[in-house]
Amino acid sequence: MILPIGPIHPGLKEPLRLKLKTQGEKVIKAEIDYGYVHRGIEKIMEGKTWQKCIYLAERICGICSYEHTQTFSETIEKISGVQAPPRAQYLRVITNELDRIQSHLLANSTFYKTLDHETLFMQVLDLREYIMDSIELLTGNRVNMGWNVIGGVRMDAEDKHLDAILSKISYVEDNLDRHVALFEDAPILGLRTKGVGVMTREEAIKGHSVGPIARASGLKHDYRQEHHTYKDYFDFKPVWRKEGDNYARTMNRYNEITSSINLLKDAIENIPKGDIRRPVEVKSGYGEWRGEAPRGEVTYMIETNGNLIKRISIRTPSIMNIDSCAKYMLKDVATVADAVTTYASADPCIACAERVAITDISNNKFITKDFFEISKEYNNKFTTNDFFEISKDYNKKVNLSNKFNYNNDLEVN
Amino acid sequence: MLKTLKDIVRKSSIHVCIVNCGGCNGCDVELVACLSPRYDLEQYGIYVHNNPREADVILVTGAVTEQWRENLRRIYAKAPEPKVVVAVGNCPQSGDVFAQEGGRVLAPVSDFIPVDAAIPGCPPRPSEILDAILAVAPGAIAAKGRIQDK
Repeated sequence: MILPIGPIHPGLKEPLRLKLKTQGEKVIKAEIDYGYVHRGIEKIMEGKTWQKCIYLAERICGICSYEHTQTFSETIEKISGVQAPPRAQYLRVITNELDRIQSHLLANSTFYKTLDHETLFMQVLDLREYIMDSIELLTGNRVNMGWNVIGGVRMDAEDKHLDAILSKISYVEDNLDRHVALFEDAPILGLRTKGVGVMTREEAIKGHSVGPIARASGLKHDYRQEHHTYKDYFDFKPVWRKEGDNYARTMNRYNEITSSINLLKDAIENIPKGDIRRPVEVKSGYGEWRGEAPRGEVTYMIETNGNLIKRISIRTPSIMNIDSCAKYMLKDVATVADAVTTYASADPCIACAERVAITDISNNKFITKDFFEISKEYNNKFTTNDFFEISKDYNKKVNLSNKFNYNNDLEVN
Repeated sequence: MLKTLKDIVRKSSIHVCIVNCGGCNGCDVELVACLSPRYDLEQYGIYVHNNPREADVILVTGAVTEQWRENLRRIYAKAPEPKVVVAVGNCPQSGDVFAQEGGRVLAPVSDFIPVDAAIPGCPPRPSEILDAILAVAPGAIAAKGRIQDK
């Protein structure tokens, strides 16, 4: 029997359709339909100045809105050959980690909601409000912060603000342990989460999953390790686990919150004085940059023409995580209720993923395909150039040649 | 007697369904924040169901995308009378930044379903959302209910 869930469902924050193939209560296969939030952001960005594009980049996704602007700015900074001043880099780290904490807390509280554990849902959501306060104190807004500009950040933070953030962080740190213990040692929660929705390391590699989901399955990779700010100024080590089940994913997120809190304390204590913004003359060229969003790696590929964006391509983590969730985590789940919790534990962000429409130019038909179909087809049939012939046809204005190399991205080393 | 009783009940028991028809998630995150103990929607008798068949208030977020063209009307038809539609954020009102050349959105929402109230902001604060629902919903539901009863 096929059981459809969504696009509007109490357990899902965002519109998406889960088609579960069931045998009695047991889920044996899952299929995911998306495309409900496709707005055409990349197309709108073409031919606009960065001031307009950064505003759009922020609105790709509401939960990890910060990381998108940072990666966007850093890509253009890379093209122009400059780096933000140290104080701006520190402020970026502070905002980034605050954003990561709130996103992870939200993901965990949604997971508890799907488990029907109201107490933990409310308590974790309450804890998140302190982080939202800190973000508002620093940037002036709760969700879409408008904090990054090319060459630095928009405003300076005063010492009293940083102190207030530090005290809020300490409060969260003190209370987090209690909530983690409540989840970690609870026997009934253990029964609902341990061994449910297992994704092994090999499957994580095959599915190209990234972020906390991959790290919970034993892939020890966090892009912050390779980011210049974290390399130069911080002592950062990725958090990872081996189990690969719902429990591991939730605990991995908690452990990442702890590591983010340590990074934040380090950053607030050692923040240098100086400029927060450097004037940048945007050059023409092509650049790629990656950043670690709360859900995994975000890649920006931008081609600029002077001050204007000629072509932009954004690769967000959720597109791989959703598909590996459907293919591997939901392949053998005991009940439908567990399938919904498994889906929530993968922390999908649909708004991020919705920038893909595959056009078959041979008969001018729009067809939607999942990630596995695409990667299989393009690895077998087409070369990378063909892929760009297709995307070139979609955007006739620009001639891209083969600068974007998707195949490199699809392979996991 | 029955009508006054209905009015009182409708004022203090509002069931809400959130419909994200193509937004960036920001408004939905703020709606989830409304559930947190600090804002606590439920103390005002508002309960988030996310089931259009039980909803009194439909909260619409996001600029309408291609997939929601028909689905939005269908969801509106599924909700029982009397119902109130509140548009949360800038997207359902104008399409915000997505209503530009190249964007694939069909905002405003009022082209598809009747909208009773709108909360501007990108995204609006949880307290503003709460304020708007409480200001509009009880009166509007009671008033629409009275028209239907006649």
